[in-house]
Amino acid sequence: MEFTTLISYVIAFFSLFTLNVFILLFLKHRHEYLKRPECSGKTPTVSIVMPAYNESRYIAESIQCLFGLDYPKDKLEIIVVDDGSTDDTYKIAGSFKDSPISIHAFRKENGGKGAALNFGIKKAKGEFIATMDADSFVTKDMLRELLPYFEDPEVMAVSPAVKIRPSDSWLKELQRVEYLMILFSRKLLSFLESVPVTPGPFSMFRKVVFDKVGPFDEHNLVEDQEIALRIQSHNYKIRSSMVAEVYTEPPANMKDLLSQRVRWQRGGFRNYWRYRHMIKPEYGDFGMYSIPMQFATIGSFFSLVALMLYTFLTTPYYVRYIWFEAFGMGIDLFTFIAVFVVLLSTFFLYLAVKSFEGEKVKLRYFITFVAFYWYLMFGYNMLFLLKEVKKEAFSW
Amino acid sequence: MERTVSVPLYIGAFLMSLAIFLLGIYIGSTMDSSHLASISEDVSSVSDRVASVQLLILMEGNSSAFCPVYSSELDAIDNDVEKMGYMLTYLEDEKGVFDNELKKKYFVLEAESYVLSRKVNDLCGDDSTLLINFYSNKDCGRCKEQGTEILQARDELAAGGVGVKLFSFDGELNSSVADALEAQYGVSGYPSVVIDGKTYSGFRTSDELKALIKGSS
Repeated sequence: MEFTTLISYVIAFFSLFTLNVFILLFLKHRHEYLKRPECSGKTPTVSIVMPAYNESRYIAESIQCLFGLDYPKDKLEIIVVDDGSTDDTYKIAGSFKDSPISIHAFRKENGGKGAALNFGIKKAKGEFIATMDADSFVTKDMLRELLPYFEDPEVMAVSPAVKIRPSDSWLKELQRVEYLMILFSRKLLSFLESVPVTPGPFSMFRKVVFDKVGPFDEHNLVEDQEIALRIQSHNYKIRSSMVAEVYTEPPANMKDLLSQRVRWQRGGFRNYWRYRHMIKPEYGDFGMYSIPMQFATIGSFFSLVALMLYTFLTTPYYVRYIWFEAFGMGIDLFTFIAVFVVLLSTFFLYLAVKSFEGEKVKLRYFITFVAFYWYLMFGYNMLFLLKEVKKEAFSW
Repeated sequence: MERTVSVPLYIGAFLMSLAIFLLGIYIGSTMDSSHLASISEDVSSVSDRVASVQLLILMEGNSSAFCPVYSSELDAIDNDVEKMGYMLTYLEDEKGVFDNELKKKYFVLEAESYVLSRKVNDLCGDDSTLLINFYSNKDCGRCKEQGTEILQARDELAAGGVGVKLFSFDGELNSSVADALEAQYGVSGYPSVVIDGKTYSGFRTSDELKALIKGSS
């Protein structure tokens, strides 16, 4: 067998395998993945830490939203950390008169999101910390939904269902579909004790966890992912809610989306690399499956791109006379598996969207997602590789 | 928390993937043999067309009255024969699928259409050049490259209105027609090209080939 054929079979088998793991996880947990933990009735103190950099556009509304939380107001505090904004963010945060929840606004020199979070956590008095972006909007039962997960003393963090509001923008709608899929996969991964991220838009932590595992990494492209990996590297649990909703504002154009995703890819890869020492049986599924899978996925992407390029460049001259026939004859095991993987992923996406009652996705967005949006990943990954090779400095 | 590895989950996913993989291998090999079968059918049907042109020429007692019919039918035949050759090469080189008996059958067809083309060229005063490419799939470093050079030369000449018909033979397949042609043209190594009956052994670039073809006509 030729080397290139072997590589293509390995990629095909790997893609199939990862998808099947997800499908089986779904089948195994289909009766419980939507279940909510029993209400505890407890109302511990919660500090909501909101780092903000030039968020004057959204911050007032997002604080207003917190006032609507169904939770004793005297058990809450809001800590806004203005990370050296050049706009009115600080002024707006401090302007809430007669606010039902006490708001503490702080101002510091610009030092990045991780530093701002750590600053806020140091000021926080609550037993629990909710980290939150200034452009996120919570729904009122957020804390009532998330806190019961902490009844299990090993649970150190819980993430809610981060969603995007329906809109008329194609790009936002496609991301909305994608977020539903991410949520669904994250829920399934939580059954393997390998939650990949405690999302920046909103996540809750036991305050003690920062003493046990340390504060947020201040020099990380995706500090919300690093903290999740670190918490789990100490064998603590992270849970994921499918019900508690928080709405975030997605990138509105291709350029912003691209830079966000390249940041995720670069940061994500580096974080998993940092925790590669966990590839050991004692770290269970996280060590033996989730982490290796990340590297294998990245490896598959690059091999696939290299393979396609190689095939294109080495196409024999005569194929131009029979390109139509060659297309038919070219259908092989790899093509078959590729088609199968696309169909299976589409089915998986359908399951994901169906899991969220009330989330209606128009067929045209679903089809565009399956037919085009997915393949943007090749672009992100190529840019990620390019930036790594050029050793380009990290930036937001 | 005590961590565990969900071994049954991965075994399950592995077995599911394996099942789909085996199905893919089965479908793939079925399709490969169906491609070979369809080329085999094409070889037979084109053989019939060659035979009917031969018959027509014999019946007309070598008169040139039907030359336009011969030429147009033969052009179509040669075109089809060439295409089948590419398909066989594609299956063999890109997918490792081949059938030596089919290849031999194909070489017989090729030899027949070559002989017929020569006959029609003589009979009708057609000036298209006939080029035979003798190659080998074993130990021939530049045979593939030679094939490409020939095609490039042919395409460039075609753009200038010079017609070249191509016939390719694998000289080391023990095909009796290929061996007979090799003996006829004194071919001793690979690659070798025969242009309008004259043998040139060794690798030739497309420019060299173009010069040879232009010199021969």
